[in-house]
Parts: sequence; structure tokens; C-alpha cells
Amino acid sequence: MNVFLREFRAYRKSLITWAVSLAGIVGLFMALYPAFASDIEGLNEMLANFPEAIKALVNITPETFMSVLGFYGYLLSFAWLAASIQAMNLGVVIISKEVSGKTADFLMTKPVRRSEVVTGKLAAALAVVLIMNVVFIAVSYLAVAATGAEFDSSTLLLMSSTLLLLQLVFLALGALFSVTIPKIKSVVAVSLPTVFAFYIIGAIGDVLDNVELRWVSPFRYFDPAYMITERGMEPEYLLVVAVFVAAAIVATYVIFAKRDIHTAV
Amino acid sequence: MELRMNVIETSRLTKYYGKSRGIVDLDMTVEEGEIYGFIGPNGAGKSTTIRTLLGLIHPTSGSATIFGKDITAFGPQIRQEVGYLPSEVFYYDDMRAIDLLRYSASFYNKDPKATEKRARELAERFDLDLRKKIDDLSYGNKKKVGIIQGLAHQPKLIILDEPTGGLDPLIQQEFFHLLKKQNAEGATVLFSSHILSEVQKLCDRVAIIKEGSIIRVDQIRTLLENATKRLTLEMAAPVEESVFALDGVSDLAVTNHTVSFLYRGHVNDLTGLLARLDLVDLQVEEPDLEEIFLHYYQKEE
Repeated sequence: MNVFLREFRAYRKSLITWAVSLAGIVGLFMALYPAFASDIEGLNEMLANFPEAIKALVNITPETFMSVLGFYGYLLSFAWLAASIQAMNLGVVIISKEVSGKTADFLMTKPVRRSEVVTGKLAAALAVVLIMNVVFIAVSYLAVAATGAEFDSSTLLLMSSTLLLLQLVFLALGALFSVTIPKIKSVVAVSLPTVFAFYIIGAIGDVLDNVELRWVSPFRYFDPAYMITERGMEPEYLLVVAVFVAAAIVATYVIFAKRDIHTAV
Repeated sequence: MELRMNVIETSRLTKYYGKSRGIVDLDMTVEEGEIYGFIGPNGAGKSTTIRTLLGLIHPTSGSATIFGKDITAFGPQIRQEVGYLPSEVFYYDDMRAIDLLRYSASFYNKDPKATEKRARELAERFDLDLRKKIDDLSYGNKKKVGIIQGLAHQPKLIILDEPTGGLDPLIQQEFFHLLKKQNAEGATVLFSSHILSEVQKLCDRVAIIKEGSIIRVDQIRTLLENATKRLTLEMAAPVEESVFALDGVSDLAVTNHTVSFLYRGHVNDLTGLLARLDLVDLQVEEPDLEEIFLHYYQKEE
């Protein structure tokens, strides 16, 4: 519990910054919807003239883009990107902060199990992620409702909850990196390239309409168009998320328990 | 005779970092209530031994117990009663000293209020302002935080890995005084150093470690009797080498007016010899460990 409290306290400021920024983006973006919706005809013509590749890249299809949830789905992919970076930072920092800050000697010579340290730190990161998602879902609902357009609120909840799933994936991946990469000097230098790489792989997969690449990038696991029309998620991708998150977290515990903590030099 | 428990006992403890040696088949026994010096040159394996005992690194083979409990199976339980101070301390820069000490206290199954009270007493003794941020503390003051976090919970075993670096002589004296007091109250101390005089001041028994193995364990008295000094004499007139044909003199070098040699033996014999000489200047130094190994321990092997 002490590790959890210490870690959560350390994350407070960054949590507030991230939550406020994300809420601001959602609010601003959705505020644009009425202006778009008022000129659907013009928009349809414009979209028809877009090359297919561009449409695929930005994930726009006329029928979904016109509805308020379609518009929200467009926003969602950017929110995923930002939230994934945050989650990956949280994961990468878990053990690497103690190693690069050379505080591991202090912490691990206290009467505490390695697993307890990982649990406390993961729980703190998870608490941050959960708070982020409560804020995101609430702001999403308010912002979508504020457009005045009609929408299915359970579909909106479904769509906005994908943020949590992506954050869990990148939190787990970050934690795994945290215990496998020997010396992480900068957290962002690890998390940014990783998240962007997956994002770009996803985008390429979309442009090429390649199914195999879809499996590689978590950013393509949850298709807004599918969620709007089917009112559900594709179960095979949900399964991939669950298996990956569980495996990465188990591996984090196992690897950290076996790892030597070397002298701070 | 009083039967004393072994607080630390290692059996063929071995640690390799990949292919490079840390320690090899190290056997060490630290008895309850003693101050056990652990001395050797840098890279001999002192830190490796200590870090293995603390569970920071895992032994390649062999085993060790602390308080009779296996270090790999009962690490957290053992560390309830261990205080550790490394040579270099690093703490969370965003915390105040008091926050760090509270965080430290929160890990022990002991009354946190009593531990904090003791921490405050120690801080007063070392003249440390606990309200300051770790980031704003000088290195010496960070080291004081290190001493306090290592001792505030009144551990039964205090492990110190070259702890004196960065401490000014007065603080060092105060720190040694405190260690002796803790020891008198029952704490066992394992003290590693590469400075012989430190160990001489503090320890009851001394283990000498070299290239990953303990080559000798001496009572400190024996070591003092065997204490080697390097003397450099500046003579008024050139002298013959034969003048210095005294038991215990080695590595003698006479160049014109300057004479230099290592001496191991009774101090009175030496001063008797010096009294007969016409000296311009005299320098007595403690040889570094390398020299001792070179001229003493290696010969005996």
C-alpha cells in the first residue's frame, strides 16, 4: 500500500495535465460537429472526391462520418494515440525510474518483495488509467450530447471504452519494456517511437487493407465503423488484448523477480 | 563459553556476472554482537557479497543465511531487521528528507511513530534539516539521510558498504560513535571498506577479501600487531643499508639522503632505531591495501 500511495502521489500532477488536455481536445473537437453537420451535402461531395487511400488513412467513410458517433469515431483514433503514449509512459517508468534514478538500492533493501513493488506500482498506474477513462467517458458523453444530435448512448460507451483497452495494452507493454531493457535513460525515448510505430503500422495496414497487419497494431483492433453498425467489438481482437495484457504482466513479475539490481554507477 | 549465534553465514557463496567473477566459494561467518570488518581492494568482491546478502543480486551457486534464515527464501523477512547504507546514496529528488524517512519507516513491522521519533533524534544529532527537499541537500547531507534510514528502525544487523565516502571527519566520528553504541546495545555490524585505518578504529574481527575469496580472517589485535607502515626518512648524511637491518623491515630503498621502507613489528623497536639516526625529516604513512597485499599477504601464501 505504501508503494502504491507513493507512486500515485508522484503521478498526480501528470494525471491532471493529461486528463485536462484530453478533455479539452474532446470538447473542442465535438464543438465543431454542428458546423460540419449543417453542410452535409457539401461534405458528401468533398468526400467523394477524396482518393480512397486518404479516406482509408484517416478512417473516414461517408456514411459513418456524417453521424455524430461517426464524427466521434474520427476523434477517437487521435485520443487513442495520445492516451497510448500516456499509458506507455506509465508502464515504462515503473521499474526504470528506480533503476535510472538509482533508488532501486534503497527500495529493494527494504523488507519488501519484488512482486509487492511491481503490484504497488502497477496498481498506481492502473488507478491513473482508470481515472483518465472515467474522465474521458464522462467528457465524451457530455460533449456528444451537447451537439444536440441524436445518438445511441450505449454505442458511445462502447466506443469510448476502447481507450481503456488500448491504455491497458500499452501499460502492460511499457511495464514489460521496463524490466527487459537494461538501462532506460529517457522514458519518452522508449514510449514515443513504440507507440508511433504501432500507429503507423496500423495506418499502413489500413491503406493496404491488409488483415495480417491489423493483428499487429492495437490501433486497428477496434474499428469505429464496426462498433457503430454492429454495436459490439470484434471478439477475436478483444481476446488478443486480454491474452497480451495478461502475458506481459506475468512476464514483468517473473523477469523482475529474477533480475539482478546492479550497483548504481 | 557463551555460545553465540551466527548472524551471517555463507557457504561456498558464488556470484558470476556472465563470465566475469564476483565472488567464488566465499565462506564467511559473522557472529552475533560483533563488528565485522570486510576489507579488500576495489573489485575484490565486497559489494558483490553484500548485495547478494541483501537480495539485490542472486547467487550463482552456494548459499547464505542471515539470522539462520536462507537469504533467497526469506529475503523480506530478514530485511525487517537489517539496516543498509551503501557508499553512494540516491533518493527520490521530489521528496523532502522527512518524507523519505517516513516512506522508509512504512516498510517495517515496527511502530512508525517510534521510528520517526528516532529518525528525528538522529537528524538532530547530525544537524540535518528534515524539511529540505532531497534535491536541495548536499552530498554529505544526503549521506546523513542514508545513515538515518539505515538505523532509525533499530536493526539487529547493520550492513555498511564503504559508508564513509562523502562524510566529513567530524560526522564520520559521530557516525562511528553511533555504530559503537548500536553495537553495545546488541546490533551486529558488517562493515566493508578499503581503508585499513577505518576498520582498525571500529572492528573486532576483519576478513580480508581478494579476487573474490576471503584469504584471511584476523582479530583486529593481530592485524594491529602486523600493521605495516611505510616510512620515508630524510637523512642528514647518506647512510648504509645495513643500518636498517631490523626485523620487520622490507622493501628497503636507500637513495643518497632518502630512505624508504615498509615496517611491520613493534613500534618501540622502530623508534629505538630512529632515535639513533640523524634525521632531517620523517614521514610515516599507512600503506595502501595494494602494498599490504604485495608485501605481506602474498608472501605468506
